[in-house]
Amino acid sequence: MDIVGESIKFMVLGMLVVFTFIYVLVVLMGVQAKIINKFFPEKKQPMVSSASGAAPGEAAEEESRRIAAIIAAVSEFRKN
Amino acid sequence: MKIKHLFFSMLMAFVASTSFLHAQEHASATAQTEQPKSDVYVEKSMTQLASSFYDTTGLKAMISPKEEVANGEGEKMSLFAQSWGRLIMFVIIFFLFYLAIAKGFEPLLLLPIAFGGLLANIPVANMTGDHGMLGIIYNMGIANEFFPLLIFMGVGAMTDFGPLLANPKTALLGGAAQFAIFGSLVGAAALSQYTGLVDFSLQQCSAISIIGGADGPTSIFIASKLAPELMGAIAVAAYSYMALVPVIQPPIMKALTTKEERRIVMKPTRKVHKLEKLIFPLLVIVMTFLVLPDAAPLIGAFVFGNFAKESGVVDRLSNEMQNSLINIVTIFLGLGVGSKLASDKFLVMETLGIMVIGLLAFAAGTAAGVLMAKLMNKFSKEPINPLIGAAGVSAVPMAARVASKVGAEARPGNILLMHAMGPNVAGVIGSAVAAGVLLSIFK
Repeated sequence: MDIVGESIKFMVLGMLVVFTFIYVLVVLMGVQAKIINKFFPEKKQPMVSSASGAAPGEAAEEESRRIAAIIAAVSEFRKN
Repeated sequence: MKIKHLFFSMLMAFVASTSFLHAQEHASATAQTEQPKSDVYVEKSMTQLASSFYDTTGLKAMISPKEEVANGEGEKMSLFAQSWGRLIMFVIIFFLFYLAIAKGFEPLLLLPIAFGGLLANIPVANMTGDHGMLGIIYNMGIANEFFPLLIFMGVGAMTDFGPLLANPKTALLGGAAQFAIFGSLVGAAALSQYTGLVDFSLQQCSAISIIGGADGPTSIFIASKLAPELMGAIAVAAYSYMALVPVIQPPIMKALTTKEERRIVMKPTRKVHKLEKLIFPLLVIVMTFLVLPDAAPLIGAFVFGNFAKESGVVDRLSNEMQNSLINIVTIFLGLGVGSKLASDKFLVMETLGIMVIGLLAFAAGTAAGVLMAKLMNKFSKEPINPLIGAAGVSAVPMAARVASKVGAEARPGNILLMHAMGPNVAGVIGSAVAAGVLLSIFK
């Protein structure tokens, strides 16, 4: 039996299924995010937007990078 | 009772001489019932005792192996497996101990696995047999694929899908990395068909290829379904490569990206609504039952754990899954898998083949993820650092940490961890889907 040929067929099928599954999941995630944020907006949102609005340009990027670093550090800390 | 009876009849003998005869009859009767025991035991001199004791020792079993000795499953063991094989396994096991203790590579799994291997290689004791400790553990939860599912439940309860939901596109990277599984499937088939060094069936090739998904429980789950005879080698390969993520991945990541690409800064992730996190597990399970019911055990256990966590009302259950339950199961899983490290099972040409294919699979998964991220970076409005593609192999959270570390080397202060967690958790789903596809083929 030509198992190499057979395994190539598996590969085509497998990658197609995996990608389709994940792609549909990506689309659904986008849709649900839109729906949820439209009908159940979170109250904290205005605070975040005003913080980034107050510091324009370079400073805003610096600020957001610092926040990212803090989030990452906290999540890293929690994991240990 | 007997003694009491005897004592009573002896008393009677003293009291009445007429009953003397009766008492003697009785005594001879009890002596007769004890006869079989004394049959087994014949008087031995001290030297005989010593030499018969030596016959039962492991030392004797290893120094002068016998033809007809069987392993736990009742198959005959070769002379090599009984003698030198065990010694070689002890060396391998001590190397695993070294990796776990001194190097800190996945000690939670390598240590119990290696210890299980140590116990499995004890001669005479027959620990891997149906009534041996390891055999009982193996039949209890590994032969029927139960333990890997419990582990998956715990992993689900520990996983935060927030980073993935914040940037759904990164899930595609977790899909690309599954090329590792199918690429190594072809690799294993080619190795078996063209070199003749090993002789793998398609089922065995599929079980081996799951190592590329870098997901221990999934590997064990598939191996016990498709190729239980290769379980030990597959589990050891999967877990040792997962442990070696920080060693294997960075060179591949650096080779495939330019310094400029590694310096890319990604936008901070948006805040994810609590409802999104709650609905996501349901979304995944609905898709599973529509498209791939064969992956339902794996994905079902995974999203159940996650759903319990995100619901926020069953913290007791979710904590149990994340801590005690997963710890208990890890002990059993490790020892049970270790039972397949018996010398007659492990020291075969196939193991070497599995180790090589596993390594290539891992490298291929990393490369596919990075290349996919480069491609997405070309077409995406928001910049994507190709390094996070490497986190598409599902070794959570190690792969994401490695991506973040390599990124921070290129640009200090650039934290990619949260971005890398997206592909990382998508990789878990991706490899479960890939496993489901392989299972559905062999149904």
